[in-house]
Amino acid sequence: MFNHLIVRAIVPITIAVTGFVVFGCLLLYSFIKADMIDEAVLHVDSLAETVVKSTRYAMLEGDRESLANIVDNVGTLVEVGQIRIYDEAGEVRFSGFDQAAETITTTIEIDAWSKQIMQADSPQRTDTHHNVTNTDGLIAVSIPILNEISCSTAACHFHAEEEPLLGFLSIGISREPLEKTLALLRSRMIIFSLMVLFLTIGGVAALLQMNLFLPIQHLAWCAEQAAGGVPVKDLPKADRKLGQLEKDFRLLIQQRDQAWQEQKSVDILLRKADHGSDRNSRNRNRDAGHQAAATTGSGQNPQA
Amino acid sequence: MPDIKPLRLQVQARIRKLELLSSSGLWILALFTALSIGAYRKFAFLPTLNDAIRSLLGSGPPVNFINWALVLYAFSAIIMVLTQMTGSKRPRGALSHFGYLSVFYTFYHFSDGLTENFWAVFTIGMTILSLQSYHVWNYYKEKVREEEEILAELNKLAEE
Repeated sequence: MFNHLIVRAIVPITIAVTGFVVFGCLLLYSFIKADMIDEAVLHVDSLAETVVKSTRYAMLEGDRESLANIVDNVGTLVEVGQIRIYDEAGEVRFSGFDQAAETITTTIEIDAWSKQIMQADSPQRTDTHHNVTNTDGLIAVSIPILNEISCSTAACHFHAEEEPLLGFLSIGISREPLEKTLALLRSRMIIFSLMVLFLTIGGVAALLQMNLFLPIQHLAWCAEQAAGGVPVKDLPKADRKLGQLEKDFRLLIQQRDQAWQEQKSVDILLRKADHGSDRNSRNRNRDAGHQAAATTGSGQNPQA
Repeated sequence: MPDIKPLRLQVQARIRKLELLSSSGLWILALFTALSIGAYRKFAFLPTLNDAIRSLLGSGPPVNFINWALVLYAFSAIIMVLTQMTGSKRPRGALSHFGYLSVFYTFYHFSDGLTENFWAVFTIGMTILSLQSYHVWNYYKEKVREEEEILAELNKLAEE
């Protein structure tokens, strides 16, 4: 019964605490992951902006060699996984990596996407695009290289004035450091959740055991003893944790003991009274026998 | 002495009904598990909404808002179920919890946040519905015990 009581008290607490802690951790992980991806996107945006600013003069001058050098040098950064400059037709003009070394599928995917973006009727032509769900393990940004007055009027080369877009820069940083940090965060969260769970459930169970179940078990054992006839003075010392219940229980046993005592006294008195009345009746019978013998004379049976 | 056979039959019927009700929480849990499997597969078994309906519905709420709504819902639902348990009140609202959880799955699906938040909804759904079904099971088992006591008394009367 008490095991059942303990189970009934602990099970809902265990379910509620475990569920809420795991749910909280999952949601917290999701929040932190979103924040870290936002941070990585900001970083890649800033990197792309830096590249665009640093290539601006080389582009104006039409200095392809300097442009290729800048792109190559940025490509040597450890975190940079991809850097490309596309022209207005969506074709790769400069790449920080050897195109043969890049995976074919990625190249095909990006080229198809870039051509689609660079179509004249595409509404997203002049927008900045982020791609964080790439299967190639990169967080990438593509920023448009817009036509400016100085571009269309430059002496060295020119672009048509009505063409708003000259190409775009695509740069991607590796997701690996982010994934490593998230994996570390996951393992720490699992350890933390397990600690919280053990402490909460263990703490609640210990408190319930100490303050409720043990006093109840003690009272139940006393009740069993009392039912077996043990008087109140022979019962173990009272536990004060159950308060009035324990006092009332002992009062009941005390009243029962008193009732037994009174019953015993009454029984003894009754027995004495019975014993006395028996003796009296025997005496009376003897006296009656003597009287009869006296009237009938000696040697005669008074019953006859 | 009146005939107690119909009374016994009534009590037996009540016991059967209560035993059936005591397992109703498990049915809701099974239903939620089935829904979760569907959500895990991004509701691929359902027909896709056409563009007209999609534009009529508008864009889904931001995932962040849904997350906060889920936290609020989870907290209040657990408190509600625990309150019902401590008050030994008749268990109610299992189906409405199922409804709320389905709505969360739907909102995440339309806001493209289901992949990221699937396990959060699944965990809290299992927690709330497990608590609810535990309460349902306890409550109706207690009622069954009461009815069984009545039946035992009636059997004694019948033997006399």
